[in-house]
Amino acid sequence: MKGRTMAAIRKGLTHLILLAVSVMLVFPFVWMVSGAFKDSLEVVKMPPQLLPSHFRFENFVQIGEFFPLYRFLLNSVGIAVVTTALQLIVCAMAAYVFAKIAFRGRQGVFMLFLATMMIPAQVTLVPLFILFSHMHLLNTYAGLILPGIFSAYGTFLLRQNMMTIPNELLEAAFMDGATYYRVFWSVMLPLVKPVLAALSIFAFMSSWNSFLWPLISTNSKELMTLPLGLSMLQGKWSTDWNLLMAGNVISFVPIFTVYLFAQRYFIKGMTMTGIK
Amino acid sequence: MVKQSGILLLIAAMAVISACGSNNGNDSNGNSSSTNASTNGSSDASANESQEPAKDPVTIKYLTYTANGGQENTLKSMVEAFEAKNPDVKVDYEVVPYADYDTKLTTLISGGQAPDVYELGYENFRKYAGKDLLLDLTPIISADSSFDPSTYKKLAYDAFNYNGKQMGVTESFSDVVLFYNKDLFDAKGVKYPDASWTWKEELDAAQKLADPANGVWGTYSPFQFYEFYKTIAQNGGGVFDASGNPTINSQANIDAVQWMIDKAEKYKVSPAMNDDTFSQPDADLNAFMSGKIAMARFGIWNFSRFKDAKFKWDIALEPGNTQKAHHFFADGIVASKDTKQAEAVWKFMKYFTSDADSVNKRIAAGWSVPAVADDAVLDAYYKQAPPESKKVVIDALDSLVLPPVGPKPEKWGELQAAVTEQLDKAKFGKISVKEALDNAQKSVADLLSK
Amino acid sequence: MVGQRNWNRRMAAFVFLLPAVLGLIAFQLLPMASSVVVSFSDWDLLSKWTDIHFIGWSNYAEVFTNEKSYMSIKNVFIFLIGYMPVITVLGIFLAVLLNRNIRGMKLYRAAVFIPVITSWVAVSIIWRWLLNGQSGVVNYLLSLAGIQGPIWLQSEHWAMVAIIFVSIWKDIGFVSIILLAGLQDISDDYYEAANLDGASAWSQLWRITVPLLSPTLFFIVTISLINSFQVFDQVLIMTNGGPAGSTSTIVEQVYRNAFQYNKMGFAAAQSWVLFGIIFLVTIGMQRLQRRWVVYER
Repeated sequence: MKGRTMAAIRKGLTHLILLAVSVMLVFPFVWMVSGAFKDSLEVVKMPPQLLPSHFRFENFVQIGEFFPLYRFLLNSVGIAVVTTALQLIVCAMAAYVFAKIAFRGRQGVFMLFLATMMIPAQVTLVPLFILFSHMHLLNTYAGLILPGIFSAYGTFLLRQNMMTIPNELLEAAFMDGATYYRVFWSVMLPLVKPVLAALSIFAFMSSWNSFLWPLISTNSKELMTLPLGLSMLQGKWSTDWNLLMAGNVISFVPIFTVYLFAQRYFIKGMTMTGIK
Repeated sequence: MVKQSGILLLIAAMAVISACGSNNGNDSNGNSSSTNASTNGSSDASANESQEPAKDPVTIKYLTYTANGGQENTLKSMVEAFEAKNPDVKVDYEVVPYADYDTKLTTLISGGQAPDVYELGYENFRKYAGKDLLLDLTPIISADSSFDPSTYKKLAYDAFNYNGKQMGVTESFSDVVLFYNKDLFDAKGVKYPDASWTWKEELDAAQKLADPANGVWGTYSPFQFYEFYKTIAQNGGGVFDASGNPTINSQANIDAVQWMIDKAEKYKVSPAMNDDTFSQPDADLNAFMSGKIAMARFGIWNFSRFKDAKFKWDIALEPGNTQKAHHFFADGIVASKDTKQAEAVWKFMKYFTSDADSVNKRIAAGWSVPAVADDAVLDAYYKQAPPESKKVVIDALDSLVLPPVGPKPEKWGELQAAVTEQLDKAKFGKISVKEALDNAQKSVADLLSK
Repeated sequence: MVGQRNWNRRMAAFVFLLPAVLGLIAFQLLPMASSVVVSFSDWDLLSKWTDIHFIGWSNYAEVFTNEKSYMSIKNVFIFLIGYMPVITVLGIFLAVLLNRNIRGMKLYRAAVFIPVITSWVAVSIIWRWLLNGQSGVVNYLLSLAGIQGPIWLQSEHWAMVAIIFVSIWKDIGFVSIILLAGLQDISDDYYEAANLDGASAWSQLWRITVPLLSPTLFFIVTISLINSFQVFDQVLIMTNGGPAGSTSTIVEQVYRNAFQYNKMGFAAAQSWVLFGIIFLVTIGMQRLQRRWVVYER
């Protein structure tokens, strides 16, 4: 009896905290959405009003006058999907080695991976540009996708997770005659699904938001992505914040969809419990 | 062992890099093979040109930022009109946001892929000209009998003259003037501002117009670096003296900055320095738009924002103290020193900056004010109302101050940051204006001595 | 037999690592190596890279003598000290709550992640208002507790605090979602057993959740450290490094030196000093992890 009351209180408390946190986290976003429907001065009016005095749906149409919205959107989606898929494969393969296949000097190679995260992108930008121009990869889809595939970050995340998989499990598979390839594909990957899902969100997101590299490496409208489009809404002297908000709302939707989709894999008990 | 393998890999990477480097060196020594990918197509075309008169059009690359934020279609129609008139030239343009323009342009230049022709603001022009990156147009101009420099406003044209060499052509300009709310003036029976006004008249009027109970401010101007160098000029001061030595802590400058602060803190006709509302983006425009500011120093690019204001407004010359001074922001286009298409580039520069056709397109689209001298051409611009007194935009040029780039243009960005840092401190009275400007003087002197 | 197995293992390691290592060399290590070269030059990005001119160690000397550079290093440490503990603790706490099996959880999980996806540019305006000295909500809430809040973003003392606060707001969803993914690996059996033993929720958190989550936690701490040493976007958008340089950070200075002040060589040197700092801290973390990270269960 007492236990049940305690559980109810705990549940109520959880709801209360999560609700408060959610409001704090979501409020600025709600404001952004409402800003997307305001006019250019109302959106920066102080103190702000939560709802627009009248809803300007034409803001979303007006964006199309600044850049070819559909083309950019399509490019962004295509590049992000391909980058994410390739990044997941490359990172998972490397992480498998770092977690479970020992060889001399492995720790050193791993530190080298980590080291690539420690240098600001601003200083490697120009060398990368020169490199790509020699490889004739500027202004190509390949040039936009390639630098995003190799992620020390993703490798590290997956490696941490793969480390926790018991070695006995792998040994058992080898005993049954499985190859390294087989173990990777049929044992490792299914076991790290939640983290793969998480990584896919981040890989997609970082490709989706990528700005500096596409800015530098492309010059044709055929290849440009949404973040470049959004920057085209900002003039030298003034910015129409309402259009910028509308653009950000458009940009928000696809990542959020990916997130909701990937989140379905965060289901308790799907991974280790069945096997142990 | 671990460390060794890491170091080995690094050495391997360096080896590959240096191999790449020497490779490229050979390329550029051997020349003409493929110095850079971007002008490849055009250099082929020019080779054809010299052999046979019947030729493919040459392509020139143009990089621009002012078309960003909504004027790309205007640019496109200008380029199309140019190509129609000059079938032997194709313009491959690219629009880059202002905030990222330097990043993109410097990357292109450092990678050996400088565009043939590109846009530069006055401040950057000084820097690029100083670094010897630009094509000297002087010989081309003197050889071109169809070109007359007096087509342009002289001051704007001369802004792109570096050490006696014309290295760019002015394209358009902007300035800052005094905007005022006529309804507020009428309500208090105050005479409208005119060219004869000084800071004193401005303050008198502002004191009558300010209405704290209703949140109405008499006069407003931002407190930042650009406002600083103009305001000190209105008091006869300056960042540099005639020979290029910094004079940031002169008495005239100290008095001017004190005046900027006093309007808020002493006379209370402007929002208090710590009024955080005005640090929001566009908060000042909003306040004017909702009738809360009687007079404000705003850029002329805001005209369209106030188009639908619920009150009557107009513009006037800015009041000065000992003399008048107005901002002048010039954008010009320049040619890369390395361009292989000087002739085509020059044709485009002429057309783009002063051809009647392109000038009219620019005005009609409300893009910017072309820096042409002929008043008849600008008539269309004057007629776009409000404001009624649009000629003030041009009158302001008689007392323009250029950004004080100083003797070392490459230090401009750091100079600006150094002064801003001290203004930030003086703003809330953390240190006195004199201390702030003394500090700024010292850091700018240090900066320039390096 | 054993030899065969060894050979297979080496082959597998080679094949599985190959794509990542090739990409790493081409797109990361090569550019990094050339930025080392650049850091010994006075390259201004306005001359071609083949005409580069070397000046020895003077860029590195300037990193420590240049007042702005020095200040930015200091500011980054202030950011780190304010940001790291808070986001780690709050992240664990939030992840545990998000891992509970209650109704509406999907909505909460969606809500928590929204700031991560929203762009800095779009939320900066609303945050500037929320943090407004006179009419902001943050100061209103403080006034309820009898505290008079500062003019956050215009104060040399408080602007960095505001940046830390907003950064936590933006990143907390990221941290807790990663930890949440890590929590999926922990079997309910552990908790059931602990419940039978009558362990309190608090001791379950410390005895079960944190140790079993430690590999993910190690990832989060390392990544957050590396990222906060490179804090940049929010600074550029919210305060532009001001007021009076009080929120200026290393990468912000790197960006300005590289692309605005045309001092690429100096920017590269600054970056490599930053690299050195991060590298040392990360090595330290690697050493320490043996004491608290549990991989084998």
